[in-house]
Amino acid sequence: MVELRGIKHRYASRVVLDLDQFSVPRTGALAVVGHNGSGKSTLLRLLALLETPTEGQVLFDGQPVPRRAPPALRRRVTLVEQRPVLFRGTVRENLEYGLRLRDLSTNAAAGMIGHVVEQLGLQPLLERRRHELSDGEVQRVAVARALALRPDVLLLDEPASSADRAAAGALYRALAAERAARPFAVCIASHQLEDAYRWGDDIRALAEGRLSPVTPENLFRVELPPGDGVKRIRVGDADFFVMTDRSGPAVVAVPPTDIFVSKEPLPSSARNVLAGRITGMAIEHRGAGVHVRADVGGIELVAAVTAEASKDLGLGPGVKVVFSFKATAVQVF
Amino acid sequence: MDFLAEGFRRAWDLLVTGDSEVYGIALLTLRVAVVATFIACAIGLPLGYFLATRRFWGRRAALTVVNTALAFPTVVVGLLLYGLLSRRGPLGAIGWLYTWQAIVVGDVLLALPIAAALSAASIQGVDPRIRRTAETLGAGSWRVAWTVAREARFALAAVITAAFGQVVAEIGAAMIVGGNIRGSTRTLTTAVALFTSQGDFGMALALGFVLLAMALLVNVALQVLQGRGSG
Repeated sequence: MVELRGIKHRYASRVVLDLDQFSVPRTGALAVVGHNGSGKSTLLRLLALLETPTEGQVLFDGQPVPRRAPPALRRRVTLVEQRPVLFRGTVRENLEYGLRLRDLSTNAAAGMIGHVVEQLGLQPLLERRRHELSDGEVQRVAVARALALRPDVLLLDEPASSADRAAAGALYRALAAERAARPFAVCIASHQLEDAYRWGDDIRALAEGRLSPVTPENLFRVELPPGDGVKRIRVGDADFFVMTDRSGPAVVAVPPTDIFVSKEPLPSSARNVLAGRITGMAIEHRGAGVHVRADVGGIELVAAVTAEASKDLGLGPGVKVVFSFKATAVQVF
Repeated sequence: MDFLAEGFRRAWDLLVTGDSEVYGIALLTLRVAVVATFIACAIGLPLGYFLATRRFWGRRAALTVVNTALAFPTVVVGLLLYGLLSRRGPLGAIGWLYTWQAIVVGDVLLALPIAAALSAASIQGVDPRIRRTAETLGAGSWRVAWTVAREARFALAAVITAAFGQVVAEIGAAMIVGGNIRGSTRTLTTAVALFTSQGDFGMALALGFVLLAMALLVNVALQVLQGRGSG
């Protein structure tokens, strides 16, 4: 639906986003995960047609988007920012804002507002003004304001970051109900993998403005010593062995699928053998795999195993485990 | 000090009795100030918005020029305008020299940098998310600008007041291109200068009070509007 091709986006002279290809499918739910500063928000602003990439092209329905996207095109994509703002006026006036721009009849607009108000439990807030709302309430109103417009593509930047558990649940339920009633594309940026696994049909990870092969948990900023070959680097309180000819500041990534999980150290070719305890388990979206999160030497690593292997090993929170991976498995970029 | 007390008494009498000359001068001043402020803001506020929100080559230089123009001496503006409007000047044919329209033009030139520079600063102070949010909700350029302006309404109201204050209080351009002609181009400031030089302190003070009252009324009106628009 919205596609980015050959994107290099700069602020001043710094490249903040460097993507060969990125697309949000027509009715898919895409989750983008990454640390703060990884480029998620910039990515969403480009997808929302609010910014023009310094280099590269944005396509909508396969057609190139002009430098200043016309309002008619922008109305098909709506972004809810990480810390959304409300305009002056009441919550009701905020919900009406976008609908008024679409020349809807008063009855139709009232119907659309009533629908999202009910879904997100906003009735008690309708006549309040922004300074009378908490951050979580502002976020809910902002999501409702976007949902009421029924966009073809909805972009949500950390939509539940200020919401409590119940409010976040309501928000995601409303989103699921809306998608069940009317399929549309959703792209959620989050630094929380749980959100991504729960809502994404597909997950992409961003690191330093680039698509990363691994999730943010297994990404580390390091200083690589000069030279070529296997290098020993300090990551938190742990030592990693990395095979690379790079030196200086870099990001190293350990793909979760390249980590062996065992209860005891095993004789193998793996140069990295880290003992620790499981801090969390997450069933992967499709249900076939398990992501095992463990504290190993003061850092958190996530390993991907099958549900069967997890059962056989008796993995669970608090269980002692050993994570092993080869020096050649560590990716450097 | 006696002359001051005498001046206050005279001023009071002139104001209470509705002296036609005092009120004639006040009305002309008000007309000139309102028209000039309106024109300066109609051009200056959109220009300020443009400078604050668009990124283009030479933007920084344009902002520097506008900010520098804030300190433009009123007599110099009057002098330049005189050169343009005098019979031998390039705009002499329109015959505006020594008319109230010439004073309006001079005042617009003085108030325009205030309207543009201060509104640019006000718009820059608006959270950039407001603009992005309006855009992502589907607003076109005008609606986005209106939404941003609503957020900066207090600051923009202050910009209009500052422009009005500049126009109503300036004397240099009004004196040079207006000529201080009785019943035609005599404004409050030029009249105060004239009556003071003639030693008619009562008349000068009366006109000074009217000038202050005008400024006070505009500020009160602004505060009432701000009170209504809060939230």
